[in-house]
Amino acid sequence: MIDYFAIGLTHGLILFLCWRLLNRDDLDDPLASPPETRSRRGKRSARKKRETAQADA
Amino acid sequence: MLDVVLLLFLGALILLGLRRPFIWVLAYLYVDIVAPQKIGWVILPSVQASLITFVLAFAGFALLDNKKGVRFTPRQAVLLLLLIWCGITTQFADFPESAAMKWSWVWKSMLFALFLPLAVRTRLRLEAAVAVCVLSLAAIVISGGMKTLFGGGGYGMLVTLSSDNAGIYEGSTLSTVTIASIPLIWWLARHGTLFPARTKPVMLFALGLTFASLLIPIGTQTRTGLLCIAFLGALMMRTVKHRFLYAALAGVLALITLPFLPQAYQERISTISNHQSDQSASTRVEVWKWTLEYVAESPMGGGFDSYLGNSIRYETVDQVQEGSVVRTERHEVVDEGRAFHSAYFEVLGEQGFPGFILWALLHLSGLVSMERLRRRGMASDDPDMKRWGALANSLQQVQLIYLLGALFVGIAYQPFILIVLGLQIALSTIVKNSDRYVEEAGRKARVTAKRSRTQEATA
Repeated sequence: MIDYFAIGLTHGLILFLCWRLLNRDDLDDPLASPPETRSRRGKRSARKKRETAQADA
Repeated sequence: MLDVVLLLFLGALILLGLRRPFIWVLAYLYVDIVAPQKIGWVILPSVQASLITFVLAFAGFALLDNKKGVRFTPRQAVLLLLLIWCGITTQFADFPESAAMKWSWVWKSMLFALFLPLAVRTRLRLEAAVAVCVLSLAAIVISGGMKTLFGGGGYGMLVTLSSDNAGIYEGSTLSTVTIASIPLIWWLARHGTLFPARTKPVMLFALGLTFASLLIPIGTQTRTGLLCIAFLGALMMRTVKHRFLYAALAGVLALITLPFLPQAYQERISTISNHQSDQSASTRVEVWKWTLEYVAESPMGGGFDSYLGNSIRYETVDQVQEGSVVRTERHEVVDEGRAFHSAYFEVLGEQGFPGFILWALLHLSGLVSMERLRRRGMASDDPDMKRWGALANSLQQVQLIYLLGALFVGIAYQPFILIVLGLQIALSTIVKNSDRYVEEAGRKARVTAKRSRTQEATA
Protein backbone atom coordinates (compact mmCIF):
# COMPACT_ATOMS: atom_id res chain seq x y z
CA MET A 1 0.00 0.00 0.00
CA ILE A 2 2.82 2.39 0.95
CA ASP A 3 4.61 1.58 -2.31
CA TYR A 4 1.48 2.34 -4.32
CA PHE A 5 1.13 5.68 -2.53
CA ALA A 6 4.81 6.59 -3.09
CA ILE A 7 4.71 5.57 -6.74
CA GLY A 8 1.31 7.17 -7.41
CA LEU A 9 2.29 10.52 -5.91
CA THR A 10 5.74 10.88 -7.43
CA HIS A 11 4.97 9.41 -10.83
CA GLY A 12 1.83 11.54 -11.03
CA LEU A 13 3.94 14.64 -10.35
CA ILE A 14 6.48 13.63 -13.03
CA LEU A 15 3.67 13.20 -15.55
CA PHE A 16 2.17 16.56 -14.57
CA LEU A 17 5.59 18.18 -14.99
CA CYS A 18 6.06 16.66 -18.46
CA TRP A 19 2.54 17.76 -19.40
CA ARG A 20 3.41 21.34 -18.42
CA LEU A 21 6.53 21.19 -20.60
CA LEU A 22 4.51 20.50 -23.74
CA ASN A 23 3.42 24.11 -24.27
CA ARG A 24 6.58 25.88 -23.22
CA ASP A 25 8.61 27.48 -26.03
CA ASP A 26 11.56 28.03 -23.71
CA LEU A 27 12.01 24.24 -23.43
CA ASP A 28 13.79 24.11 -26.79
CA ASP A 29 14.72 27.73 -27.43
CA PRO A 30 17.33 29.19 -25.06
CA LEU A 31 16.39 32.73 -26.12
CA ALA A 32 12.64 32.39 -25.54
CA SER A 33 11.47 33.97 -22.32
CA PRO A 34 9.39 32.01 -19.83
CA PRO A 35 5.66 32.83 -19.72
CA GLU A 36 4.61 35.51 -17.27
CA THR A 37 3.98 33.89 -13.93
CA ARG A 38 1.47 35.76 -11.85
CA SER A 39 1.94 35.45 -8.12
CA ARG A 40 -1.03 34.61 -5.93
CA ARG A 41 -0.92 38.14 -4.58
CA GLY A 42 -0.89 39.38 -8.19
CA LYS A 43 -3.96 37.28 -8.97
CA ARG A 44 -5.74 38.54 -5.89
CA SER A 45 -5.00 42.18 -6.62
CA ALA A 46 -6.11 41.69 -10.26
CA ARG A 47 -9.39 40.20 -9.04
CA LYS A 48 -9.80 43.09 -6.59
CA LYS A 49 -9.20 45.62 -9.37
CA ARG A 50 -11.80 43.88 -11.55
CA GLU A 51 -14.31 43.90 -8.71
CA THR A 52 -13.71 47.60 -8.00
CA ALA A 53 -14.10 48.41 -11.70
CA GLN A 54 -17.40 46.49 -11.80
CA ALA A 55 -18.63 48.26 -8.65
CA ASP A 56 -17.72 51.64 -10.16
CA ALA A 57 -19.60 50.76 -13.33
CA MET B 1 -0.64 -4.50 -10.93
CA LEU B 2 2.53 -2.51 -10.12
CA ASP B 3 4.02 -3.71 -13.40
CA VAL B 4 1.02 -2.36 -15.32
CA VAL B 5 1.12 1.01 -13.54
CA LEU B 6 4.84 1.45 -14.24
CA LEU B 7 4.47 0.30 -17.84
CA LEU B 8 1.62 2.75 -18.42
CA PHE B 9 3.74 5.50 -16.87
CA LEU B 10 6.70 4.72 -19.14
CA GLY B 11 4.37 4.47 -22.14
CA ALA B 12 2.89 7.89 -21.30
CA LEU B 13 6.37 9.43 -21.10
CA ILE B 14 7.31 7.94 -24.45
CA LEU B 15 4.09 9.26 -26.01
CA LEU B 16 4.61 12.76 -24.58
CA GLY B 17 8.14 12.61 -25.98
CA LEU B 18 6.69 12.44 -29.48
CA ARG B 19 5.64 16.09 -29.03
CA ARG B 20 8.74 17.14 -27.06
CA PRO B 21 11.64 14.72 -27.57
CA PHE B 22 13.47 16.12 -24.51
CA ILE B 23 10.94 14.19 -22.41
CA TRP B 24 12.75 11.02 -23.53
CA VAL B 25 15.87 12.36 -21.80
CA LEU B 26 13.78 12.83 -18.66
CA ALA B 27 12.42 9.29 -19.09
CA TYR B 28 15.96 7.89 -19.12
CA LEU B 29 16.86 9.94 -16.03
CA TYR B 30 13.90 8.33 -14.28
CA VAL B 31 14.84 4.80 -15.42
CA ASP B 32 18.51 5.31 -14.49
CA ILE B 33 17.64 6.42 -10.94
CA VAL B 34 14.62 4.28 -10.05
CA ALA B 35 15.46 1.16 -12.13
CA PRO B 36 11.76 0.18 -12.56
CA GLN B 37 12.85 -3.21 -13.92
CA LYS B 38 13.87 -4.02 -10.32
CA ILE B 39 10.46 -3.00 -8.93
CA GLY B 40 8.22 -4.99 -11.23
CA TRP B 41 7.92 -8.76 -10.98
CA VAL B 42 6.29 -10.07 -14.12
CA ILE B 43 6.53 -7.91 -17.22
CA LEU B 44 9.02 -5.18 -16.37
CA PRO B 45 12.14 -7.32 -15.84
CA SER B 46 11.79 -8.54 -19.43
CA VAL B 47 11.16 -5.07 -20.91
CA GLN B 48 14.43 -3.34 -21.77
CA ALA B 49 13.23 -0.02 -20.31
CA SER B 50 16.77 1.27 -19.88
CA LEU B 51 17.82 0.43 -23.44
CA ILE B 52 14.60 1.78 -25.00
CA THR B 53 14.74 5.16 -23.21
CA PHE B 54 18.53 5.38 -23.76
CA VAL B 55 18.12 4.96 -27.52
CA LEU B 56 15.10 7.31 -27.65
CA ALA B 57 16.95 10.02 -25.66
CA PHE B 58 19.95 9.91 -28.01
CA ALA B 59 17.87 9.60 -31.19
CA GLY B 60 15.56 12.45 -30.12
CA PHE B 61 18.55 14.72 -29.58
CA ALA B 62 20.45 13.67 -32.70
CA LEU B 63 17.52 13.78 -35.13
CA LEU B 64 14.91 16.16 -33.75
CA ASP B 65 16.66 18.75 -31.55
CA ASN B 66 17.73 22.16 -32.89
CA LYS B 67 20.94 21.95 -30.75
CA LYS B 68 21.14 25.71 -30.22
CA GLY B 69 23.78 26.47 -27.58
CA VAL B 70 25.33 22.99 -27.55
CA ARG B 71 28.96 22.96 -26.38
CA PHE B 72 31.54 20.33 -25.54
CA THR B 73 33.38 21.42 -22.40
CA PRO B 74 36.78 20.44 -20.93
CA ARG B 75 34.99 18.63 -18.06
CA GLN B 76 33.16 16.47 -20.59
CA ALA B 77 36.53 15.72 -22.18
CA VAL B 78 37.81 14.50 -18.78
CA LEU B 79 34.72 12.32 -18.39
CA LEU B 80 35.20 10.95 -21.90
CA LEU B 81 38.84 10.11 -21.13
CA LEU B 82 37.76 8.34 -17.93
CA LEU B 83 35.17 6.36 -19.91
CA ILE B 84 37.77 5.33 -22.48
CA TRP B 85 40.25 4.43 -19.75
CA CYS B 86 37.64 2.27 -17.97
CA GLY B 87 37.02 0.51 -21.31
CA ILE B 88 40.74 -0.16 -21.69
CA THR B 89 41.19 -1.52 -18.14
CA THR B 90 38.18 -3.80 -18.71
CA GLN B 91 40.14 -5.37 -21.58
CA PHE B 92 43.04 -6.38 -19.34
CA ALA B 93 41.05 -6.84 -16.10
CA ASP B 94 42.19 -9.30 -13.41
CA PHE B 95 38.69 -10.79 -13.40
CA PRO B 96 37.43 -10.37 -16.98
CA GLU B 97 33.92 -11.80 -16.51
CA SER B 98 33.15 -9.77 -13.41
CA ALA B 99 34.70 -6.65 -14.95
CA ALA B 100 32.60 -7.06 -18.10
CA MET B 101 29.45 -7.30 -15.95
CA LYS B 102 30.22 -4.01 -14.18
CA TRP B 103 31.30 -2.32 -17.43
CA SER B 104 27.92 -3.23 -18.97
CA TRP B 105 26.13 -0.66 -16.78
CA VAL B 106 28.97 1.75 -16.00
CA TRP B 107 29.56 2.75 -19.63
CA LYS B 108 25.90 3.56 -20.08
CA SER B 109 25.75 5.80 -17.01
CA MET B 110 29.01 7.57 -17.93
CA LEU B 111 28.00 8.07 -21.55
CA PHE B 112 24.67 9.48 -20.43
CA ALA B 113 26.41 11.90 -18.02
CA LEU B 114 28.55 12.97 -20.97
CA PHE B 115 25.49 13.46 -23.15
CA LEU B 116 23.27 15.14 -20.54
CA PRO B 117 24.90 18.62 -20.76
CA LEU B 118 24.43 18.55 -24.54
CA ALA B 119 20.71 17.88 -24.23
CA VAL B 120 20.13 20.11 -21.17
CA ARG B 121 20.86 23.37 -22.98
CA THR B 122 18.02 25.64 -21.82
CA ARG B 123 17.12 26.89 -18.37
CA LEU B 124 13.75 25.16 -18.43
CA ARG B 125 15.36 21.85 -19.39
CA LEU B 126 17.77 22.18 -16.47
CA GLU B 127 14.96 22.82 -14.02
CA ALA B 128 12.92 19.92 -15.45
CA ALA B 129 15.92 17.56 -15.18
CA VAL B 130 16.52 18.56 -11.54
CA ALA B 131 12.83 18.09 -10.76
CA VAL B 132 12.68 14.64 -12.38
CA CYS B 133 15.82 13.55 -10.47
CA VAL B 134 14.30 14.69 -7.17
CA LEU B 135 10.87 13.16 -7.87
CA SER B 136 12.35 9.87 -9.09
CA LEU B 137 14.40 9.55 -5.93
CA ALA B 138 11.35 10.66 -3.94
CA ALA B 139 9.50 7.50 -5.03
CA ILE B 140 12.09 5.40 -3.18
CA VAL B 141 12.50 7.85 -0.29
CA ILE B 142 8.78 8.27 0.48
CA SER B 143 8.33 4.49 0.48
CA GLY B 144 11.40 3.98 2.73
CA GLY B 145 10.55 6.91 5.00
CA MET B 146 6.98 5.77 5.60
CA LYS B 147 8.04 2.17 6.26
CA THR B 148 10.62 3.43 8.78
CA LEU B 149 7.98 5.57 10.46
CA PHE B 150 5.60 2.61 10.75
CA GLY B 151 8.25 0.47 12.38
CA GLY B 152 10.01 -1.31 9.51
CA GLY B 153 13.70 -1.19 8.85
CA GLY B 154 16.96 -2.44 10.22
CA TYR B 155 20.48 -2.76 8.81
CA GLY B 156 20.16 -4.43 5.39
CA MET B 157 16.46 -5.05 6.10
CA LEU B 158 14.57 -1.95 4.97
CA VAL B 159 12.90 -2.88 1.72
CA THR B 160 11.92 0.27 -0.18
CA LEU B 161 10.50 -0.22 -3.68
CA SER B 162 12.73 -3.18 -4.50
CA SER B 163 14.03 -6.06 -2.41
CA ASP B 164 17.25 -6.00 -4.44
CA ASN B 165 20.00 -4.90 -2.03
CA ALA B 166 22.19 -3.43 -4.77
CA GLY B 167 22.68 -0.16 -6.64
CA ILE B 168 20.59 2.65 -5.22
CA TYR B 169 18.54 0.15 -3.19
CA GLU B 170 21.59 -0.74 -1.03
CA GLY B 171 21.23 0.92 2.41
CA SER B 172 24.43 3.02 2.59
CA THR B 173 24.17 4.11 -1.05
CA LEU B 174 20.52 5.10 -0.61
CA SER B 175 21.31 7.01 2.61
CA THR B 176 24.16 8.96 1.01
CA VAL B 177 22.28 9.80 -2.18
CA THR B 178 19.09 10.70 -0.30
CA ILE B 179 20.77 13.07 2.15
CA ALA B 180 22.88 14.55 -0.64
CA SER B 181 19.77 15.37 -2.67
CA ILE B 182 18.07 17.43 0.09
CA PRO B 183 19.62 20.73 -1.17
CA LEU B 184 18.06 20.07 -4.58
CA ILE B 185 14.60 19.64 -3.00
CA TRP B 186 14.94 23.07 -1.44
CA TRP B 187 16.27 24.71 -4.57
CA LEU B 188 13.14 23.55 -6.39
CA ALA B 189 10.89 24.63 -3.53
CA ARG B 190 12.43 28.12 -3.44
CA HIS B 191 13.33 28.75 -7.08
CA GLY B 192 11.22 26.36 -9.21
CA THR B 193 8.79 27.55 -11.88
CA LEU B 194 7.25 24.27 -13.05
CA PHE B 195 5.87 23.75 -9.56
CA PRO B 196 5.50 27.40 -8.47
CA ALA B 197 8.12 28.20 -5.82
CA ARG B 198 7.28 29.18 -2.26
CA THR B 199 3.63 28.17 -2.58
CA LYS B 200 2.00 26.24 0.27
CA PRO B 201 1.67 22.83 -1.47
CA VAL B 202 5.26 22.96 -2.77
CA MET B 203 6.72 23.97 0.61
CA LEU B 204 4.69 21.24 2.37
CA PHE B 205 5.87 18.62 -0.12
CA ALA B 206 9.49 19.77 0.31
CA LEU B 207 9.14 19.59 4.08
CA GLY B 208 7.60 16.11 3.96
CA LEU B 209 10.21 14.84 1.52
CA THR B 210 13.05 16.24 3.65
CA PHE B 211 11.59 14.48 6.69
CA ALA B 212 11.31 11.20 4.76
CA SER B 213 14.91 11.68 3.54
CA LEU B 214 16.15 12.14 7.12
CA LEU B 215 14.37 8.91 8.08
CA ILE B 216 16.25 6.85 5.47
CA PRO B 217 19.56 6.60 7.41
CA ILE B 218 17.49 5.58 10.47
CA GLY B 219 15.50 2.99 8.52
CA THR B 220 18.59 1.52 6.88
CA GLN B 221 20.60 1.99 10.11
CA THR B 222 23.65 3.18 8.24
CA ARG B 223 26.37 5.17 9.96
CA THR B 224 27.40 6.83 6.70
CA GLY B 225 23.93 8.36 6.43
CA LEU B 226 24.22 9.91 9.87
CA LEU B 227 27.62 11.40 9.01
CA CYS B 228 26.08 12.83 5.84
CA ILE B 229 23.25 14.45 7.85
CA ALA B 230 25.79 16.07 10.21
CA PHE B 231 27.83 17.28 7.24
CA LEU B 232 24.75 18.69 5.51
CA GLY B 233 23.96 20.57 8.74
CA ALA B 234 27.47 22.03 8.74
CA LEU B 235 27.28 22.98 5.05
CA MET B 236 23.98 24.81 5.62
CA MET B 237 25.83 27.13 8.00
CA ARG B 238 27.42 28.76 4.94
CA THR B 239 24.11 29.92 3.52
CA VAL B 240 21.62 30.39 6.38
CA LYS B 241 20.92 33.94 7.51
CA HIS B 242 20.87 33.52 11.28
CA ARG B 243 23.76 31.15 11.91
CA PHE B 244 23.71 31.09 15.71
CA LEU B 245 19.97 30.52 15.87
CA TYR B 246 20.29 27.77 13.26
CA ALA B 247 23.16 26.06 15.11
CA ALA B 248 21.28 26.22 18.42
CA LEU B 249 18.08 24.83 16.86
CA ALA B 250 19.99 22.03 15.11
CA GLY B 251 21.69 21.11 18.41
CA VAL B 252 18.38 21.04 20.30
CA LEU B 253 16.75 18.99 17.53
CA ALA B 254 19.61 16.45 17.62
CA LEU B 255 19.33 16.15 21.42
CA ILE B 256 15.57 15.59 21.21
CA THR B 257 15.83 13.06 18.36
CA LEU B 258 18.71 10.88 19.60
CA PRO B 259 16.81 9.09 22.42
CA PHE B 260 14.07 8.13 19.92
CA LEU B 261 16.47 6.31 17.60
CA PRO B 262 16.14 2.50 17.60
CA GLN B 263 18.45 0.73 20.08
CA ALA B 264 20.16 -1.28 17.33
CA TYR B 265 20.98 1.94 15.46
CA GLN B 266 22.37 3.60 18.59
CA GLU B 267 24.68 0.61 19.04
CA ARG B 268 25.86 0.88 15.43
CA ILE B 269 26.48 4.61 15.82
CA SER B 270 28.60 4.02 18.93
CA THR B 271 31.03 1.94 16.83
CA ILE B 272 31.91 4.99 14.67
CA SER B 273 34.46 6.11 17.26
CA ASN B 274 35.52 2.55 18.23
CA HIS B 275 36.20 0.86 14.91
CA GLN B 276 38.51 -1.81 16.37
CA SER B 277 35.66 -3.88 17.77
CA ASP B 278 33.68 -3.66 14.55
CA GLN B 279 34.38 -6.24 11.88
CA SER B 280 32.93 -4.13 9.05
CA ALA B 281 35.13 -1.14 9.93
CA SER B 282 38.25 -3.28 10.47
CA THR B 283 37.77 -4.93 7.08
CA ARG B 284 37.55 -1.54 5.41
CA VAL B 285 40.85 -0.37 6.86
CA GLU B 286 42.53 -3.62 5.81
CA VAL B 287 41.03 -3.52 2.29
CA TRP B 288 42.27 0.06 1.90
CA LYS B 289 45.79 -1.01 2.96
CA TRP B 290 45.61 -3.88 0.48
CA THR B 291 44.52 -1.48 -2.30
CA LEU B 292 47.49 0.82 -1.67
CA GLU B 293 49.86 -2.16 -1.85
CA TYR B 294 48.07 -3.43 -4.95
CA VAL B 295 48.37 -0.17 -6.94
CA ALA B 296 52.00 0.16 -5.88
CA GLU B 297 52.53 -3.10 -7.80
CA SER B 298 49.97 -2.47 -10.59
CA PRO B 299 49.78 1.33 -11.06
CA MET B 300 47.45 0.93 -14.05
CA GLY B 301 44.80 -0.78 -11.88
CA GLY B 302 43.23 -4.19 -12.20
CA GLY B 303 39.99 -3.34 -13.97
CA PHE B 304 36.51 -3.45 -12.47
CA ASP B 305 36.06 -5.65 -9.38
CA SER B 306 39.81 -6.11 -8.89
CA TYR B 307 39.05 -6.40 -5.16
CA LEU B 308 38.07 -10.05 -5.82
CA GLY B 309 41.78 -10.85 -5.63
CA ASN B 310 42.25 -9.76 -2.02
CA SER B 311 42.62 -12.04 0.97
CA ILE B 312 42.71 -10.22 4.26
CA ARG B 313 43.69 -11.44 7.68
CA TYR B 314 43.06 -9.11 10.58
CA GLU B 315 42.25 -8.97 14.27
CA THR B 316 39.20 -7.47 15.96
CA VAL B 317 39.64 -6.25 19.52
CA ASP B 318 36.71 -6.51 21.97
CA GLN B 319 36.48 -5.28 25.55
CA VAL B 320 34.58 -7.83 27.67
CA GLN B 321 33.43 -6.83 31.14
CA GLU B 322 33.52 -9.65 33.75
CA GLY B 323 32.44 -8.29 37.10
CA SER B 324 34.81 -5.42 37.83
CA VAL B 325 37.47 -6.68 35.43
CA VAL B 326 37.62 -5.62 31.79
CA ARG B 327 39.21 -8.26 29.59
CA THR B 328 40.48 -7.66 26.06
CA GLU B 329 39.56 -10.37 23.56
CA ARG B 330 41.26 -10.63 20.18
CA HIS B 331 39.74 -12.58 17.30
CA GLU B 332 41.48 -13.34 14.05
CA VAL B 333 39.26 -12.97 10.97
CA VAL B 334 40.10 -13.97 7.40
CA ASP B 335 38.20 -12.40 4.53
CA GLU B 336 38.48 -13.03 0.82
CA GLY B 337 37.27 -10.85 -2.03
CA ARG B 338 36.08 -8.04 0.21
CA ALA B 339 34.68 -5.03 -1.64
CA PHE B 340 36.49 -1.68 -1.52
CA HIS B 341 33.92 0.03 0.74
CA SER B 342 35.11 3.41 -0.53
CA ALA B 343 34.72 5.08 -3.91
CA TYR B 344 38.23 6.56 -3.66
CA PHE B 345 39.85 3.14 -3.21
CA GLU B 346 37.42 1.61 -5.69
CA VAL B 347 38.66 3.94 -8.46
CA LEU B 348 42.29 3.60 -7.36
CA GLY B 349 42.21 -0.21 -7.24
CA GLU B 350 40.20 -0.63 -10.42
CA GLN B 351 41.47 2.17 -12.65
CA GLY B 352 44.93 2.72 -11.15
CA PHE B 353 46.57 6.13 -10.94
CA PRO B 354 45.48 7.38 -14.41
CA GLY B 355 41.82 6.66 -13.65
CA PHE B 356 42.05 8.07 -10.14
CA ILE B 357 43.61 11.32 -11.41
CA LEU B 358 40.84 11.74 -14.01
CA TRP B 359 38.11 10.95 -11.46
CA ALA B 360 39.58 13.37 -8.91
CA LEU B 361 39.96 16.05 -11.59
CA LEU B 362 36.33 15.60 -12.57
CA HIS B 363 35.16 16.17 -9.01
CA LEU B 364 37.60 18.95 -8.12
CA SER B 365 36.76 20.92 -11.26
CA GLY B 366 33.07 20.52 -10.39
CA LEU B 367 33.57 21.92 -6.91
CA VAL B 368 35.57 24.87 -8.25
CA SER B 369 33.17 25.71 -11.06
CA MET B 370 30.14 25.53 -8.74
CA GLU B 371 31.94 27.73 -6.19
CA ARG B 372 32.57 30.36 -8.90
CA LEU B 373 28.89 30.39 -9.90
CA ARG B 374 27.77 30.40 -6.28
CA ARG B 375 29.83 33.50 -5.53
CA ARG B 376 28.72 35.20 -8.72
CA GLY B 377 25.09 34.53 -7.80
CA MET B 378 25.57 35.94 -4.31
CA ALA B 379 27.20 39.12 -5.62
CA SER B 380 24.68 39.66 -8.42
CA ASP B 381 21.51 41.78 -8.33
CA ASP B 382 20.01 39.91 -11.27
CA PRO B 383 17.28 37.54 -9.93
CA ASP B 384 18.05 35.03 -12.68
CA MET B 385 21.73 34.89 -11.78
CA LYS B 386 20.83 34.62 -8.10
CA ARG B 387 18.65 31.63 -8.97
CA TRP B 388 21.48 29.88 -10.82
CA GLY B 389 23.94 30.77 -8.07
CA ALA B 390 21.60 29.03 -5.64
CA LEU B 391 21.46 25.96 -7.90
CA ALA B 392 25.28 25.94 -8.10
CA ASN B 393 25.35 26.04 -4.31
CA SER B 394 22.93 23.09 -4.11
CA LEU B 395 24.79 21.03 -6.72
CA GLN B 396 28.04 21.70 -4.86
CA GLN B 397 26.46 20.58 -1.58
CA VAL B 398 25.17 17.40 -3.25
CA GLN B 399 28.68 16.68 -4.50
CA LEU B 400 30.37 17.44 -1.16
CA ILE B 401 27.99 15.16 0.76
CA TYR B 402 28.51 12.47 -1.87
CA LEU B 403 32.29 12.85 -1.54
CA LEU B 404 31.98 12.33 2.22
CA GLY B 405 29.70 9.29 1.90
CA ALA B 406 31.96 7.94 -0.85
CA LEU B 407 34.77 7.66 1.72
CA PHE B 408 32.94 4.64 3.16
CA VAL B 409 30.81 3.32 0.29
CA GLY B 410 31.92 2.10 -3.15
CA ILE B 411 29.75 4.42 -5.23
CA ALA B 412 32.23 5.87 -7.71
CA TYR B 413 30.00 5.18 -10.71
CA GLN B 414 26.59 5.59 -9.02
CA PRO B 415 24.25 6.85 -11.79
CA PHE B 416 22.77 9.57 -9.56
CA ILE B 417 26.12 11.27 -8.92
CA LEU B 418 27.11 10.98 -12.58
CA ILE B 419 23.83 12.73 -13.43
CA VAL B 420 24.66 15.45 -10.89
CA LEU B 421 28.06 15.96 -12.60
CA GLY B 422 26.21 16.22 -15.93
CA LEU B 423 23.83 18.81 -14.46
CA GLN B 424 26.77 20.83 -13.11
CA ILE B 425 28.32 20.97 -16.58
CA ALA B 426 24.94 21.89 -18.07
CA LEU B 427 24.53 24.74 -15.57
CA SER B 428 27.98 26.19 -16.34
CA THR B 429 27.31 25.98 -20.08
CA ILE B 430 23.86 27.63 -19.79
CA VAL B 431 25.29 30.54 -17.76
CA LYS B 432 28.18 30.95 -20.24
CA ASN B 433 25.76 30.87 -23.16
CA SER B 434 23.44 33.46 -21.61
CA ASP B 435 26.50 35.72 -21.02
CA ARG B 436 27.28 35.31 -24.71
CA TYR B 437 23.69 36.09 -25.74
CA VAL B 438 23.71 39.26 -23.60
CA GLU B 439 27.07 40.27 -25.10
CA GLU B 440 25.79 39.64 -28.65
CA ALA B 441 22.58 41.60 -27.99
CA GLY B 442 24.66 44.51 -26.62
CA ARG B 443 26.93 44.45 -29.68
CA LYS B 444 23.94 44.40 -32.03
CA ALA B 445 22.33 47.32 -30.17
CA ARG B 446 25.58 49.31 -30.40
CA VAL B 447 25.86 48.64 -34.14
CA THR B 448 22.22 49.66 -34.75
CA ALA B 449 22.67 52.84 -32.69
CA LYS B 450 25.85 53.70 -34.61
CA ARG B 451 24.11 53.08 -37.95
CA SER B 452 21.11 55.26 -37.06
CA ARG B 453 23.49 58.06 -35.90
CA THR B 454 25.37 57.92 -39.25
CA GLN B 455 22.06 57.99 -41.17
CA GLU B 456 20.91 61.00 -39.15
CA ALA B 457 24.24 62.76 -39.83
CA THR B 458 24.05 62.10 -43.60
CA ALA B 459 20.40 63.21 -43.70
